[in-house]
Amino acid sequence: MSGQSTRRPGELAFICLLALFSAAALWQAYDISEFTGLSQPGVFPMLAAATMLLSCVFILRDTLRTRPNQEPGQRTAFWHTIMPMRLMVMLAMVALYLYAMPWLGFVIASGLFLFACFAYLWRKSLLISLLLAAGSLAAVYFLFRIVFEVVLPQGTLVPAGVL
Amino acid sequence: MLEAFANFGISWLDPWLLMLTAAGTLAGIYVGAIPGLSVTMATSILISFTFKWPVNDALALIAGVYMGGVYGGSRTAILLNIPGAPSAIATAIEGYPMAKRGEAGEAIGLTTVMSVFGGFVGIAALAMFAPVISSFALMFNSRDYLLLGLIGILLVGTLSGESFAKGAFAGALGVLIGMVGLDPMTAEGRFTFGSISLMGGIPYVAAMIGFFGVAEALVQLQTLDVPAIKQKIDRVIPKLSDVKRYFWLAMRASGIGTIIGALPGTGGDIAALLAYDDARRSVKNPDVPFGEGAKEGLVAPEAANNAAVGGAFIPMLTLGIPGDAVTAVIIGALFIHGLKPGPLMLVETPHLFWFTVGNLALANIFLLIFGLTGIRIFTKIVECPKAILIPLIIVLSAVGTYAIENNPVHIYWMLLFGVLGYFLKTYGFQVGPIILGVILGPMMDSNYRRAMIGARGDIGEFLWNFVSHPISLVLSIGFVLMVLSQTPLWPRLLKTIGLQRQ
Repeated sequence: MSGQSTRRPGELAFICLLALFSAAALWQAYDISEFTGLSQPGVFPMLAAATMLLSCVFILRDTLRTRPNQEPGQRTAFWHTIMPMRLMVMLAMVALYLYAMPWLGFVIASGLFLFACFAYLWRKSLLISLLLAAGSLAAVYFLFRIVFEVVLPQGTLVPAGVL
Repeated sequence: MLEAFANFGISWLDPWLLMLTAAGTLAGIYVGAIPGLSVTMATSILISFTFKWPVNDALALIAGVYMGGVYGGSRTAILLNIPGAPSAIATAIEGYPMAKRGEAGEAIGLTTVMSVFGGFVGIAALAMFAPVISSFALMFNSRDYLLLGLIGILLVGTLSGESFAKGAFAGALGVLIGMVGLDPMTAEGRFTFGSISLMGGIPYVAAMIGFFGVAEALVQLQTLDVPAIKQKIDRVIPKLSDVKRYFWLAMRASGIGTIIGALPGTGGDIAALLAYDDARRSVKNPDVPFGEGAKEGLVAPEAANNAAVGGAFIPMLTLGIPGDAVTAVIIGALFIHGLKPGPLMLVETPHLFWFTVGNLALANIFLLIFGLTGIRIFTKIVECPKAILIPLIIVLSAVGTYAIENNPVHIYWMLLFGVLGYFLKTYGFQVGPIILGVILGPMMDSNYRRAMIGARGDIGEFLWNFVSHPISLVLSIGFVLMVLSQTPLWPRLLKTIGLQRQ
C-alpha cells in the first residue's frame, strides 16, 4: 500500500528518531509495573509502545525500499523542502511569542507577533501591516475577551487593570 | 414521545439558541471553505472557548460549525479548484470544470440543495437507529469496547494514511499520549518523571489544537504563494427539473454516506469518494462525461458527505466511539461538559440526544439559507491571503489552549505537538489517528483491565472470552480481518479460497 517511490529528504533520519523514541517509551512503560501482572497499570502503555516500535520496523523497511534522492544537493534539499528559511523564521517567532506572552501579556505579545508575521510573510508596506495587526487584534480581543469572556494572560510587565 | 419532540424543538424556539446555531452554521461554511482552516481545527479551538457555557449553547454552536463546515469545502472546490476540506475532493473534480464553463452559480446551488437533502437523510437515520443501537450496545462487554476502540483507530489509520504501519504508529502514539499521568485505577504515575504538571496528564485540547491548528498552519507555509483564480457567478437557485432528476441518485448517495459515516473510523471524506465512485459506475449516460463537469458527480459526493454527519453521530452518541477526527474532537467537548457519550447516554440524558437531533436539523435549514445567499461576499472573503491567515491561526490556537486551564505550560505542549505534527504530516503520517488514540486510549486501557480482571488474570481465559461470546466474536473477526487485509498474506488467502479476480 506504500504510495511513494522516492524518499523524502531527511525521512530516514526521522523514522530512526521515531524508532528510538518508541524504544525509550517501551523501556519507560516497562518501568511502570514491570511484568508483575496482566492487569497492572503498565501493561497497556507497554502494548502501545510495542505497537509503535513494531510499526517503526515496518515503516523503516518500506522507507529503505524507496529510492534515495540521488541528486548532488541532497543535504541542501532537506533545508529547501522540509525546513525552509520561512518555516524556521516563523517557528522562531512563534516560540518567542509564546515565551514572551506570560511576561508581556496577551495583548502586547500578540500585537507584536501579528505585526512581525504580517510584515515578514505578506511583504506589503509596514503601515498596512501595522493597521492590519491592530485591526485583527481588536477583532480577536472583542470576540474572545468580550463575547466569549475568556481570561487572557495579563502579563507581569503591565500593572493589573491597565489592559 | 412527546417529551422527545419537546427536546427536539428546544433550539427551534429559543431565540438565543437559534442565533447560536445560525452563527455556527455561517461560521462553519467559511471555515470549511477557506483553504487552510479546517472544521477539526475550528472545533478544537471552539471547545476551549465554550467549555464554561451551558451545554446546550455549546452544542448548538458546535453542531452548526460541523454541519456548515462539511458543506463549506465544496464552495472553494467549485470556485478555486481547491477542496476546502478533504470531503470536497470529489466535488472539485466535477465542480471546477462547471465553474470554468461559467456555471459556478448553478453548481453551488445544486450542491447546496443536495447537501441539505443528504443532511436530512443522515439526521433521520440518527433519530431512527441510534435508540435501537444504543439498547443493543447495553449488552456490550468491556472487551467489546476494547475491540471497538481498536477497530476505530485502525480504520482511521488505514483508510487515510500512506501505509498501514504509519496509521498504526499514529494510533499507538495517541494511546501513549493518553496514558501519561496518574493511572485512574491505582493512582500510580505513568510517564510522569516525578513532575507534578505531568501527573494531571497531557491536556488533550492542547494536543488537538497543536496537531490540527499549529501543525496545519506550518504545513500551509509551503503553499503561501499559490494565487487564487476568480470565477463569475450567475444564477444560484437550481432548476427544479434538475433537483427532480437527481433525486434518486441523491437518495442512494445519502444512504451510502449515512452508512459510511456510521462506521467507526470513517467519515465524510471517504463517504464522498465512495458515493462519487458509485455514481460513476451506476450513471450510464451523463449529459457531460465524468471529470468534465458532470452534475451527477457533484450531487453524489455532496449528498453523501452531509449525510455522513448524521451517520457519524450514531456511533459517537451510542457507543462513545468517534467516527472520525471531527467527532473525536466533539466527544472531547462532551467530556468537558461532563457528559458521557455511550449506551447509557440515551437512558440517562435522553433530552440531550433529542436536542442534538433537533439542533442538527435546524443547522441543516440554516445551511440551505446561507448556502444560497451571500456568494458574492463569500468569494471576496475566501481570497484572504494565507500570509494573514497563518499568524491568526497561531494566535487563536494559543488563546484557545490557554483558555482551558489558564496554564501557560499547555501552550508549550501545543507548540511541541505542532512541530511534531508538521514533521509527521510532511513524512506521510496522518494526525487523525493520534487524536483518536488520545481520546480512546484511557477508555481502552480501563476496559482492557476490566476484561483481564474478569478473566482472573488468566491470558487463556481472556482470549477465550473473545471468541466464546457472540458479540465479541463478530467484533474479533472484524478486527482480525482488518489487520489481515493489510498484510501480504491477504491476496494469498483470497487466492486459496478462490475469490481473487484474475
